[in-house]
Amino acid sequence: MSIIEVKKLKKEFKVKLKEKGFKGTIKSIIKPKYKKIKAVNDVSFSVEKGEMIAFIGPNGAGKSTTIKMLTGILHNDSGSIKVMDLDPKKDRKQLAYEIGCVFGQKEQLWTHLTPYDNFKFFGAVYDIPETVVEKKINELKELFELDSFIDTPVRNLSLGQRIRCEIVASLIHEPKILFLDEPTIGLDPVVKDNIRKLIKRMNKEYKTTIFLTSHDVSDIEKLCKRVIIINKGKVVLDDSMENLKYHYLNKKILDCKCKEEVNLSGEEGINIIKNKGVNLKIEVDTNKKSISDALKLLNPDNIIDINISNVPLEEIISNIYNDGE
Amino acid sequence: MRKYFYIFKTELMSNLNYVFNVLFSFIGYFIHILVFFYLWSYIYSDSSQVINGYSKSQMIWYVIITEVIWSVLAGRSFCRKISEDVKSGNITYNLNKPYSYIGYLLSSKMGEMSISFVLYFIGAIILGLIFLGSLPSINIIQFIIVLLSCILACIISAFLIIIIGLFAFYIEDTGPFYWVYSKVILIFGTIFPIEFFPGILKNILSYSPIYVVSYGPAKLFVNFSYIESIKILIAQVIYIIITYLLCLLIYKKGEKRLNVNGG
Repeated sequence: MSIIEVKKLKKEFKVKLKEKGFKGTIKSIIKPKYKKIKAVNDVSFSVEKGEMIAFIGPNGAGKSTTIKMLTGILHNDSGSIKVMDLDPKKDRKQLAYEIGCVFGQKEQLWTHLTPYDNFKFFGAVYDIPETVVEKKINELKELFELDSFIDTPVRNLSLGQRIRCEIVASLIHEPKILFLDEPTIGLDPVVKDNIRKLIKRMNKEYKTTIFLTSHDVSDIEKLCKRVIIINKGKVVLDDSMENLKYHYLNKKILDCKCKEEVNLSGEEGINIIKNKGVNLKIEVDTNKKSISDALKLLNPDNIIDINISNVPLEEIISNIYNDGE
Repeated sequence: MRKYFYIFKTELMSNLNYVFNVLFSFIGYFIHILVFFYLWSYIYSDSSQVINGYSKSQMIWYVIITEVIWSVLAGRSFCRKISEDVKSGNITYNLNKPYSYIGYLLSSKMGEMSISFVLYFIGAIILGLIFLGSLPSINIIQFIIVLLSCILACIISAFLIIIIGLFAFYIEDTGPFYWVYSKVILIFGTIFPIEFFPGILKNILSYSPIYVVSYGPAKLFVNFSYIESIKILIAQVIYIIITYLLCLLIYKKGEKRLNVNGG
């Protein structure tokens, strides 16, 4: 059963048009002209229970707008949304009990209070009895390793600690779906990795469905099995991570060190990325040339060392973004 | 209801960090009262004189109380905060919580105000005693009624400011509206009692919010009567209902217009 069901979702924004300069400003005051921008244009997808899904796209693609419609903050113009069989537009308050949101760029914690007081506050907001909140806090404290700073005011926490608390705060009411909007923004690699592990553990433990947006490709790579890419308000790809990685571009990178120089220019299906004499880096399009053919061209006897790798996911994704241009 | 009490409590806890700010802002209050003390002392040629039904000491106590209500409210920053929340889209983080935004605003404002309310009230009474030597004749029950009326006045003022703040759904800058509001309250509500104004204006004022947000509680404090107190409390309850419904109306209409870009 799908937990989120979106069909033909559309949202338009009215944006005031302004001509340049002083005259333009005066004109736009007297007779404002508006332009309609299709922020989200015919988006459909569904998410299964317990899935970890990456919802990505370039800036201005309509990601945040979609999330805001899913959580009932913004109202869609047309199309239908069902989140846990609720219509976010009509049942926003009811839906709020079922979902949690973490926005990496905003803080929802009270900065003068300790994480513990904050969690108690969120417990009360979601009508959870005192004793249950205590138990839940203890449980999440273990899971997210908050023990050393649960009694330190939030303003004195490091960003990594704060984000952990933000996530815990949005889990107090045991949401079925967690929306994570760039949760690792501004964090160092170690902390990022830590947060990812915690998110993964949480998904396993509570079967929480996770809806993640991020510009950090390794977030997506490490967490999500499925990815939806959206660009200019349209879904351009909805596929499993595996497919995206191994089949979408059908390209491999060969990085080799040879005994003698090899001239591969002009070969079909081979793109030379770097050629520094005996050090060669090429991209092979496996649709046009198999890896074995490429190896033959290089001559196995000539190879000292070789590394065959996939095109980095980052590149695949930026390629997809650019295709939409 | 528990969640609103919790919002109140959490905001109160959070604001205990600002106790010293409150004490500092009291200096400003002190200067205001000082100015009015000398002004009225100058106007009242001898202390037994009565102007429009107010003796000198009643007049000054009136200003002391209305200034407390006005200062405790700290309306400008409250109004600005609401408008900024609406314009910047920060309001969204309140929209996906299971509480009413208006209820959240009021209970957090009450939490914020309660510390300065207590400190200002104590400070103001001490100040009045130093300047004037004695309290108006009032017993403990009457004093509690006055306090209750002051609290209700704060609630109504908070609603009025929420209304102005929520105009941000429709217009760019709510500053000018707040400016007009604050000046009207200052002139017609804080400095002079309603009795000082000519006929028609006096009638209008006694039905306006000014009657319930500043005149009422202050008048009760300087010249208590049970009949007057019932009249004022009933008027305050009616105003709370009206202003709350107005907040709700503006919010419900505005929410549909909400545009949040980016982030």
